[in-house]
Amino acid sequence: MGAFELNTTISNLRSLRESDLSACDAVYLGNIYCRLFEDNFLERMDDLTEGIARVKDQGLRAYVTSYAAPRNDALPKVQIALETAAAAGADAVEVHNLGVLRMVHEQFPGMAAHVGGFANVYTDAGAEVLKEYGAVRFTPNYEISLEEMEAIVRGAGIPAELQVHGKMPLGVSDYCFLLEYEQHWPEKCPVLCQKQLFLKQGDWAMRSVGKGVLSGKDLCMLEHLPALMDAGHRVFRIEAAYETPAYRLQIAQVYRAALERALAGDGTVDESAWQAIREHTAVGLCNGFYFGRTGSEYVGKRVEAATAC
Amino acid sequence: MRLFALWKSNCTTTDNRASLKVQKACVKLDDNVCRHTSVWPCSQTQGTIGANLDMERAIPGYGALTDSTPSTARGCGIGSPKSCAMLLAPAGSLEAARQAFQAGADAVYVGLRGWSRGGARGELDREQLRQCLELADAHQKRVQLAVNIIPKPQERQRLLQELSELADWGLQTVILNDAGFLREVRQELPGLAITASIGCGALNTDDALFYQDLGATAIVLPGYLEPEEIAAIKARASIQIEIMLHMVEEFIQLGKCWMPSYVHFAAADKIFPAQRLGGSVKRGGVGTCYRICQQPWTLLKDGAEADQRLFPSRQISRVAELAAFLDAGVDVIKIQGRSLFPEMVGAIIEMYRSAVDAWRCGQKGEWNAPALPAMWTVQGR
Repeated sequence: MGAFELNTTISNLRSLRESDLSACDAVYLGNIYCRLFEDNFLERMDDLTEGIARVKDQGLRAYVTSYAAPRNDALPKVQIALETAAAAGADAVEVHNLGVLRMVHEQFPGMAAHVGGFANVYTDAGAEVLKEYGAVRFTPNYEISLEEMEAIVRGAGIPAELQVHGKMPLGVSDYCFLLEYEQHWPEKCPVLCQKQLFLKQGDWAMRSVGKGVLSGKDLCMLEHLPALMDAGHRVFRIEAAYETPAYRLQIAQVYRAALERALAGDGTVDESAWQAIREHTAVGLCNGFYFGRTGSEYVGKRVEAATAC
Repeated sequence: MRLFALWKSNCTTTDNRASLKVQKACVKLDDNVCRHTSVWPCSQTQGTIGANLDMERAIPGYGALTDSTPSTARGCGIGSPKSCAMLLAPAGSLEAARQAFQAGADAVYVGLRGWSRGGARGELDREQLRQCLELADAHQKRVQLAVNIIPKPQERQRLLQELSELADWGLQTVILNDAGFLREVRQELPGLAITASIGCGALNTDDALFYQDLGATAIVLPGYLEPEEIAAIKARASIQIEIMLHMVEEFIQLGKCWMPSYVHFAAADKIFPAQRLGGSVKRGGVGTCYRICQQPWTLLKDGAEADQRLFPSRQISRVAELAAFLDAGVDVIKIQGRSLFPEMVGAIIEMYRSAVDAWRCGQKGEWNAPALPAMWTVQGR
């Protein structure tokens, strides 16, 4: 890894082919919420093999994610995806489910495991357990503040991966209520959940992706990157599993430039960067739980960033 | 209260029917007709458990609590003989525990004030817990203690000390919610049985094996799993399987929802700043989820209103399928709802008791579940 890693998420081969990943260092392949997501990498092993090769051919690291909440019927497919990842030379697998972490540990001992945000790492004690199961990196539960995160990293001795931009996961379900609309809408599963669907109540909103709920606002840590790097963090994610290739490219470009400046001791952010972010923001910006506050709040100089666009 | 009165009037007939079936089932057990054996006794229908119990006199040594040094080997959770399914009831108060035992629960789970998911409503303080343990002991029942928030790192030692003291009182089982703390309790208090809470989010066989490796005695699974899934888990895992067959299935899985703290995190932290982490119910939070998913939402599609709706949720009560779950090897039938009224706890437990006993007596297919009145629902966790 270089001075830092900026990665993103892509759910299927079509989206991978359409995405310019020149601003990224690594990519997580697969959709963690739904087995029926359009051509989900995790269900199509030929696509997954090609996807890993495409990513690696670009000189990037290829990671394969796994389902957030798999029941037994999904485990055989998870097993095959892990085997495919190993055979195709994936650099790591991401696990949100502790049973899957155990599978990786038992059956693929050489495979690096990244623990995902749904694995509910809240404490250093929890992270230590997962480290013993082969975890080399973890995304803390999204409710964890930066202060708490530092204590976990210090206590467990493994690095954290921080989502720095994109819609923040807020929950996962066993049921897709969007299917109720198939009879009434022209869009059907498996592309229904890719529509711009928001659940709104008063002045706040959440993005529905069928079996998952995401923040309506985009988590944005752009102006806080110097502080993150000062705290020792080096792995950053742009969450884009339900976003367009243009989002993936332009947001990654903004963050790569800002991270390189931060590394050089320059904490400034170009106005053009904010313009690019505004263009890809449907509801507004937030900081999630990083500052120990309500997840939908925004803390920083860009007060207007928190308001609806 | 109006709704509760309605529930009472609705459930009278069902109540009686369930009681009758319990009594019949017990007669069969007494006559050694039952083909299943168990360490869990048939339900008790005679007398009123604890009705006239003077707790202060009943508990030896009752008085001011004193600290004791941590001990390391207590309880009989580890290595307990495998038994016929245990019926585990929620108890948010001593009265609820009493009603649950009276109705035939083998055990109750209670929250310890300040440390349980679900909040102050439905939690017992230390004295109430001691009385509950005494009540259970007097009737050969058990108590599980839900300490299922995730303690702050600086709180862990204090909580371990507290659990150690409670084990000295006779506590045998704790319900925990964090893999790290679970392992710590296993190492520090090896005699305590540990249940991995439903908030751990376990769903599959490998989850069960993970918590088994970690030293958990039991794992709680949601009631929307199918008997075939339970059988598959039991085929590979030796950990006890608890299944919450009576629960509210919310849209977001338990332990995987932080929608509330996306809206109200700061408020949560202000209410219990000393004892609880801010945030979701999983984490301890304010002890309530604000029912975000049960409020009306406007669904916008491409910026235009497409619908007004709630998140889907439903009351699960799979008593009619209980035999299939028992055949699959479920070890514990768990009922959700520490905030239920004691009378409702009693009525629900009575229904499940009769179903379990019918199964134990080989009455497969002969037991018909009474219809559930509308108010036999979980009011909150």
